Amino acid sequence: MAQRLRRYGRTLLSFWATSLEAELEYQLNLVIELLAVLGNLAGSLFVLVLLAGPSGQLGGWSWNSALVVLGIYTLLDGFTSCVLQPNLSKIVSHVQNGTLDFVLLKPIDSQFWLSTRSFSPWGLPGVIAGLALIGWALVHNGEALSAGGMALAVALLVAGGLILYSLWFLLAGLSIWFVKVWNATEVLRYTLVAGRYPISAYPPALRLVFTLVLPVAFLTTVPAEALLGRASAAWALGSLAAAAISLVGTRLFWQFALRHYTSASS
Amino acid sequence: MSQPIVHAEGLSKSFRVADKQPGLAGTMRHLLRRSYREVEAVRDLRFAIQPGEIVGFLGPNGAGKTTTLKMLSGLIHPSAGRVEVAGCLPQRRQERFLQQITLVMGNRQQLIWDLPPLDSLRVNAAVYGIDPTEAKRRIHELAEMLELGEELQRPVRKLSLGQRMKAELLAALLHQPSVLFLDEPTLGLDVNAQARVRDFLADYNRRTGATVLLTSHYMGDITALCERVLLIHQGRLFHDGSLDALTSRLAPCREVRLELRQVHPREAFEGFGTIEVHQGHQVRLVIPREQLTQQVGLLLSRFEVVDLEVSDPPIEELIGGLFRQQG
Amino acid sequence: MACSGSRAEMAHRNGLKPVQRALRIAAALLSSQYAYMLEYRAEIALWALSGVLPLIMLAVWQGSAGAAAAGLNPQGLGRYFLAAFVVRQFSVVWLIHVFEEDALQGKLSPQLLQPLQPLWRYLAAHVAEQATRVPFVALMLAAVLVLKPGLLWLPSAGQLLLGIVAIQAAFVLRFLLQTLVAMLCFWSERAAALDRLLLIPYLFLSGLVAPLESFPPAVRRLAECTPFPAMVSFPAKLLAGESVDVAGGFLNLALWCAVLFPLSRLLWQAGVRRYSAMGA
Repeated sequence: MAQRLRRYGRTLLSFWATSLEAELEYQLNLVIELLAVLGNLAGSLFVLVLLAGPSGQLGGWSWNSALVVLGIYTLLDGFTSCVLQPNLSKIVSHVQNGTLDFVLLKPIDSQFWLSTRSFSPWGLPGVIAGLALIGWALVHNGEALSAGGMALAVALLVAGGLILYSLWFLLAGLSIWFVKVWNATEVLRYTLVAGRYPISAYPPALRLVFTLVLPVAFLTTVPAEALLGRASAAWALGSLAAAAISLVGTRLFWQFALRHYTSASS
Repeated sequence: MSQPIVHAEGLSKSFRVADKQPGLAGTMRHLLRRSYREVEAVRDLRFAIQPGEIVGFLGPNGAGKTTTLKMLSGLIHPSAGRVEVAGCLPQRRQERFLQQITLVMGNRQQLIWDLPPLDSLRVNAAVYGIDPTEAKRRIHELAEMLELGEELQRPVRKLSLGQRMKAELLAALLHQPSVLFLDEPTLGLDVNAQARVRDFLADYNRRTGATVLLTSHYMGDITALCERVLLIHQGRLFHDGSLDALTSRLAPCREVRLELRQVHPREAFEGFGTIEVHQGHQVRLVIPREQLTQQVGLLLSRFEVVDLEVSDPPIEELIGGLFRQQG
Repeated sequence: MACSGSRAEMAHRNGLKPVQRALRIAAALLSSQYAYMLEYRAEIALWALSGVLPLIMLAVWQGSAGAAAAGLNPQGLGRYFLAAFVVRQFSVVWLIHVFEEDALQGKLSPQLLQPLQPLWRYLAAHVAEQATRVPFVALMLAAVLVLKPGLLWLPSAGQLLLGIVAIQAAFVLRFLLQTLVAMLCFWSERAAALDRLLLIPYLFLSGLVAPLESFPPAVRRLAECTPFPAMVSFPAKLLAGESVDVAGGFLNLALWCAVLFPLSRLLWQAGVRRYSAMGA
C-alpha cells in the first residue's frame, strides 16, 4: 500500500514536472496572465463598488465581506486554470484521437491520470491574487478566527474545490458519449461567474438554483462565511456532504463511462 | 506443452451502430426514432499462443484484426467468448496485467509531442514504478538496440517518422513487458526504417523471450518476423499456422516461368498447365503442385530452355484474391 | 498573352458586372458556411448558453443599493440587460481563434491563392453562425420570459429595426477590432492571448456588466472615449426603448469603423507580405 502511494506520488511529480517544462517555453504568457488577472480583478472591484452604492452593502454583506467572496472566486478561478482546465478539457481530444487507449493501459488509475496529468503555471497569478485579496479583507475584518474556525474554513474551501472538480469532471466526461459538446465546460465556466457575489445578492428563486442545481453557494459563499467567522452548522455540513457525494459521484460516473467506452469503441 | 500465455475461446465482438441517413430529413428521423443495426466485427475466434512466439494477424482493413488486439489488451469487452492473457482477464485491467503488457499503435503515439522522448520516458518510469537508476540502464540498453542516440533529447515533433516510431518502441518496452501488442508498427515508414524495426523486434524476442502479437498490412513484416500467422477474414479465423501452410492452402499451384531459345506456338504448351503469359520467347505457366516435378521434367526435355524459374505466386496476390472472391 | 487586366476587366471577361460577381460570391459563401455551422449546432447551442452573463448581472443589479442610487428602476434594468443579452449573442466575434490556428498551420496559403480576400470567408462564417444561433437564443429568451413574464416588452417597429442595424454595426466594429489583433498572428504566436486582454475593457466599459448610468461621471466620460460603449450600451438602449442620441450613436460607430478599417487593411497587407516572406 505504501509502495503504491509512493508510486502515485512519484508519478504526480513527474506529470507536473514535464507539464511545466512544456509550458514554460512561453514566457510572454506570464506577463499576459498577470495583466489579465489584475485587469479582471480591478474590473470586478469596480463593479462591486458600483453595486454596493453609497451604502456600501451588497445583499446584506458588508463591503469587506463581499471582498472575501470575490477573493475566493478568484482563487477558485486560478485553481481552474491551473489544474481543471488543462486536464479535463483534454478528455475530448483523447477520445477523438484514440489516445485514451494509452491512458487505460497504464497501471495507474485512469481518473487520476486524466485529472492530474497537466499543471499550468498560468493559473498561479489568479491563485495568489485570490489569496492576497482574502488575506487583505480578513485583516481589515477585525474579528480574528480561532484555530478551529480556521480549520473549518479551510475544509470548506477544499470542499468547494472538490465540488468544482466534480462539476468539471462530469461535464468533460460526457465527451465519451458526445464529442460534439466539448465546450460544455466553457458553459460551466461562464455560468460560475455568479459566484463572484454573495448568494444573498440574488433573488430568492435564483438562490435556490444556485444551491441545488449549480452549487455556486457552496463554492464561494459558504467558505466565505466560515472565514468571516459566521459559519452556520447546517450549511457547513451540507457543503461537506455535497463534496463527499459529488466525489463518489465522479467515481461511479467514470466507471460507467469506461464501461460504455470499452464496449462501444472500435 | 507449457501453459499458453494468450488463450482465446469463442471470442466474438459485435457493435451496435446507429443507422442514420445523411441530410436534415435523416437527422429528424433519427431524432424521433432511432434504428440500429448489429455489425459483427469478430466471430468465434479460437487460438492459443505460447510464450515467446511471434504471431502475425493478417487480414484486410475491417477484418477485425485491431478489434481482436484490443480485446486481448482489455480495451474492448468481448460480446461473447473468453480470453485470458498472462493468466489474467484483460478487461479487468488489473495492475499486474498492465505491468506485463504493452500496446504500440502505428497511427497514434503516446510520447509527449513538445518534449524530448527522455521526458516521456521519465514519466513512464514513474508510472511503472521503475527505479531511476534501473530505468536509466534500460533506456541505455534499448537505445543501443534501436540505434537511438541524441534523438532522445530532441523534441518529438522534430523527429522523423522512423525515429519517432523507434522512440515509441523504447517507451513501450521500458517496463519489460512479457506480451507485446503491436498494431501496424511500421505504418508509413520508409523501407530502411521498416527493416530496422523488424530486426529490432526479432532481436528483442530472441533476447527476452517476450511474446509478440503483430498486425500489419505489409507482408514484409509478416514474412520477416512471424513463423505463425492468424488470418482473419470477415471476422472469422481463416487460417492458423505457418505462412507456408497458408500458401499451399491458398495456392495449390506454382508458377513456372520459361525463357525459350525458339518461339513455339501457344498450343504446344497447353497440356502442361494453365498458360498465363505467352509472348515470344517468354512463357509463364501455372502448374498444380503435385504435377510440378513431372511437368517441369517434360518441359525441359521437349523444349530448348534457356532459363527456368519456379516460384510461388506472391502471397499478397493470393490473399488479395481470397478476399476478393469472398468479400 | 500578357498577364494583365484589372479586376473589373477580369469580371467583365467573365461576363459579370462586379456587383453581380460580389453577390454571387456572397451567396455561395453564406450558404456553404451555413451548412457547415448546422453540423456544429450542438456546440453553437452551448456557446449561446454561455452568454448568460448579462442575465446573471441582471439578477445582481435588481434590488441592489447601487441601482437605486443611480436611479435605475427594476423594469428599466430588466429591459436593458435583456437587450444587452441579445446584443452580445449577435455580436460575438471569434475570428482570432480560427485565424491563429489557420495561420500557424499554413491553412491560409490555399486561401491566399484565390482571388478573394480571406477575411470575407471569416466574416461569412460569423454571419452564418449568427443565423444558426437564432433558434437557441429564442429558446433562452422564451425560458427567461416564462419565468419572469414581467420582463416582456415589445419594441416598436422602428426601435426594432434601428436596434438590429445597431447590433450589426456593433458586430462589424468588434470584427474590425479583432481583425487588428488577429493580424498580429503574423508576427507572434501568442496573439490570441492579447485578445484576452482586450476582453477586459470590453466586459467592464461597454455596459455589459454595469449600465453606464451607474458609473461615476469621470469614469463614464473616459469610457465614452473608447469604442466599447458603442458595442453594447448603444444597441442595447435602442432595443430597450430608452432615450438615446440615435444619430450621435450611429455617428460614433461609423467613426470608429472608419478609423479601424484602413488600419486593419494596412496591417493585413504587411502581414501577408511577412507571411509569404517566411515561406507559407
